[in-house]
Amino acid sequence: MDRPIKTTQDKNSYLDLRKQERVTLLEILDRALEKGVVISGDIVISVADVDLVYLGLKVLLSSVETMERLRGAPLSGATEEPT
Amino acid sequence: MTIKVYAYGVIDSNEKIDEAMKGLNDASLFNIPYRDIGIVVSDLNAQIQKEDKTSVLKHEEVVEKLMDKFTILPMRFLTLFSGKEQVLLIMKDYYDDFIGNLDKLREKIEFGVKTIWPGDLIKERITTAHRKSDNLPLVASSSGKSFMEEKFENYKIDKEFEEEADRCIAIVDGFFSKFTSEKRLEKLKTDNLLLSASYLVDKEKRDDFKKAFEELRGSGGDLKYLLSGPWPPYNFIVLTKPNAKKFGSVDMVDSVFQRKDRI
Repeated sequence: MDRPIKTTQDKNSYLDLRKQERVTLLEILDRALEKGVVISGDIVISVADVDLVYLGLKVLLSSVETMERLRGAPLSGATEEPT
Repeated sequence: MTIKVYAYGVIDSNEKIDEAMKGLNDASLFNIPYRDIGIVVSDLNAQIQKEDKTSVLKHEEVVEKLMDKFTILPMRFLTLFSGKEQVLLIMKDYYDDFIGNLDKLREKIEFGVKTIWPGDLIKERITTAHRKSDNLPLVASSSGKSFMEEKFENYKIDKEFEEEADRCIAIVDGFFSKFTSEKRLEKLKTDNLLLSASYLVDKEKRDDFKKAFEELRGSGGDLKYLLSGPWPPYNFIVLTKPNAKKFGSVDMVDSVFQRKDRI
């Protein structure tokens, strides 16, 4: 994925690369989970209603606010713990 | 398990796409044509093994490969249809919207610019200045001061903080305005995230935009900047049709995403 992410501290150290990977992933999540074409209606199987998928993402990516907003649920009160 | 259709994006072509490209679960990609456009999908006939960052990255990878060859309207991650017939009904229903967006976004890319400032310190400075000028204790206290006065004081502090943010955002945004055809600016998502901006840029102005960012970054000061992109134009798709027609319920996705498969 050719995606230059630049911060004020561009170094080629391993830690910086890891940080850049993480930032890239968060930038992708900002878009792929929140934006893009969203079609409403029963014809689309909306995963936004399914806890399992987004709880999985929550664990890995800590994108809690996005997930809860997509689910239309309050920020606290997730009843299902991921395994 | 029923075969479902996973959608990546709507493109400005009704032709076949490169068959070597693979999608989620390594499934083949194909373009379902409708009139002069198409929607790129892959079959999903098994559980997604990792509904984690691997899947998100795969979705993004497909969208970006398509972006190199076509104008694309990326679908939100994990958009599933119960079959090809339903996909065609959606295409028919949204055709005018899709065409309008494809025209608007032709030869355009998106860049993201995040600006971080020491918001907590700035707020503290403003608070201190206010309390000194009003001859108040530096730490807010309810004693000897009415609730409404305290509220008003906080309101003035917040207002000044926002005005300071507006001034800085105008400077940052000024670096990019002449290279962009549309923008989305989000102010102060947190106290320290001053600006989260998305800019729609002509492909031919890509280098100009990056140069403007370098100039901004070299301008000094306490602010930190992050540039990302080029992205597919996720932030600039506007659908006017509020809802697709309802065609009855479909079996839900938890048969696709099994809990045991999660990491």
